[in-house]
Amino acid sequence: MPVPVMKNYIQGEWVDAATETFGDVWCPAAGEKIAQVPYSTVEDVNRAVEAAKEAFPEWRETPPLTRARYLFRLRDLFEEHFEDIARTLVTEQGKAIDESRGEVRRMIENVEHATGVTTLMTGYCLEDIAKGIDCAAEPQPVGVFGGIAPYNFPAMVPWWFMPYALVSGNTYVLKPSEQVPMTQTRIFEVLDELDLPEGVVNLVHGSRDVVNGMLDHPDIQGISFVGSTPTARYIYERCGATGKRAQALGGAKNAVVVMSDADLEAGLPSLITSFFGCSGQRCLSGSILVPVGDRADDIVAAFRAAAERVKVGDGLDESVNMGPVVSEAHRQRVLGYIEKGMAEGAELILDGRDCTVEGYPNGFFVGPTIFDHVKPDMTIAREEIFGPVVSVVRADDLDDAIDLINTRGFANAACLYTTHGGTAREFKYRVKPSMIGINIGIAAPMSFFPFGGAGDSMFGNTKGHGQEIFQFFTDKKVVISRWF
Amino acid sequence: MMLESFGAILTFAAELEALDRAFYEAAAQNPSCEGEKELFASFSRESAKGEKTALRVRRENVTEMILEPIKDFSSDAFTCDRGTPMEADCGSILATARALEGKALSFYDEASIRIKALSEVARALKSLAKKRKARIKKLDELPS
Repeated sequence: MPVPVMKNYIQGEWVDAATETFGDVWCPAAGEKIAQVPYSTVEDVNRAVEAAKEAFPEWRETPPLTRARYLFRLRDLFEEHFEDIARTLVTEQGKAIDESRGEVRRMIENVEHATGVTTLMTGYCLEDIAKGIDCAAEPQPVGVFGGIAPYNFPAMVPWWFMPYALVSGNTYVLKPSEQVPMTQTRIFEVLDELDLPEGVVNLVHGSRDVVNGMLDHPDIQGISFVGSTPTARYIYERCGATGKRAQALGGAKNAVVVMSDADLEAGLPSLITSFFGCSGQRCLSGSILVPVGDRADDIVAAFRAAAERVKVGDGLDESVNMGPVVSEAHRQRVLGYIEKGMAEGAELILDGRDCTVEGYPNGFFVGPTIFDHVKPDMTIAREEIFGPVVSVVRADDLDDAIDLINTRGFANAACLYTTHGGTAREFKYRVKPSMIGINIGIAAPMSFFPFGGAGDSMFGNTKGHGQEIFQFFTDKKVVISRWF
Repeated sequence: MMLESFGAILTFAAELEALDRAFYEAAAQNPSCEGEKELFASFSRESAKGEKTALRVRRENVTEMILEPIKDFSSDAFTCDRGTPMEADCGSILATARALEGKALSFYDEASIRIKALSEVARALKSLAKKRKARIKKLDELPS
């Protein structure tokens, strides 16, 4: 039975890509092909950028409040199509349905935050910087921007950037992950109902050629990227070489520290969500559990018991806590790390390798997996696994834990469970990662705060959403004037 | 069915309201219940709104920060056989109505405690419980 083939959205029209090469899109729960995605060419990228460039002058002259009103209407359309988008996401990405709804909610929150453009995009001025001479700093849109999105949050991540680019007067070309193209395709079908001027937003499916086409195009002023650290670094370097603005968010190896004074009963549910939510496939996932002090055995035992109760299955089933990983290739990669952990001498206390789900014999499932007595220099404590695999690294004291965190290279997020305020302050003061959770397992900033790490987790100094995002998408024109 | 997640509870609430909407809509059309026609029609309209409320609350309040599992909460205690309200006699319909309202009230009372961490959600569930309590009162006031 033929499966749907994704199309690009360029200049307000759904068009076939100029390619003969297509990839398969899989349902991770069923292990079945559900669609095909075109590997678009540089020609497709050029066409999209040309459309965005053509749309820019008129869009740039549209008053910010008028642009914001599009977003108000878009918000209502997203609410109307909320469940459909969420279920499409689960079907191709695999996460549990509530996780998917939470993701769609976060996407909408970015649209809501962006409607504050009339306050958030204002500049500043000063009269008489010298007698009779006034000066104003006026933020202006720059032109065409590009977004390159990851597979783990197919709805939300593009909207960490896109609504801010658009509402500040720029136009946009988005490349979703070729592994999960259906969600943004559905979202752009909704966007199409908005009747934006043609060319303001464009969607180009594909892989490496599209990425490089965007990096090389002289009319793309900046790129926003979320994905692995090696690719983030590559994109940042290429943008530097071609004079583009860049914000490239990379990978992570997040530690979750549990002090001996922590309220374990209250914190355990969120600890489980931190490590196993979205099957560990997020840059905010807990990856290293750090029990501190003489309560470590109790903490690990409680954590393991809770992990054993995680129900793995098809994300569309409301009773399921954890879905599959996104692909068979990724499943093999995660299994490879489990093998590595065993080979390097870590103690496997919960084995998720042979996870099976009744009725889903071909699904890409990996069950909750826990290694204890992991050493900081082991592979599974250093490298990003991006799956439901926990490395327990025991620490003697807080200094030990902070040292572990600050020597990972990655510096995305760090979490601490404690009932002691002074410990919490010291932790957030000294750790390198930029997103901190105190008695919170997933330190996910809301749309009105910035999202992004440090070290090997972030290249570029303007993070996603928040207030500063408007600076990424505008140029501050300083106007010095005198009237005779 | 176990209701061990935020989504499962709100989905059950939406389904409950949808089933009750259909029950009362059919009951209102039953000629043997001519005297209760308006009451049943109003209950049906209210359940239609209740379904929208449950779906809206599910959309607006799901957040990954607080998606923690809920323990030992099952829908079994709150399910009800609504029979065939188009064909049943009025006495049977009223008995079924009292039973389903009682179960719905119990569900909302307990669900609002289970999701008390999300105050907007708990408030919505309490509001739905209050409506059910009012319905029970109206059913009790009917002449026997």
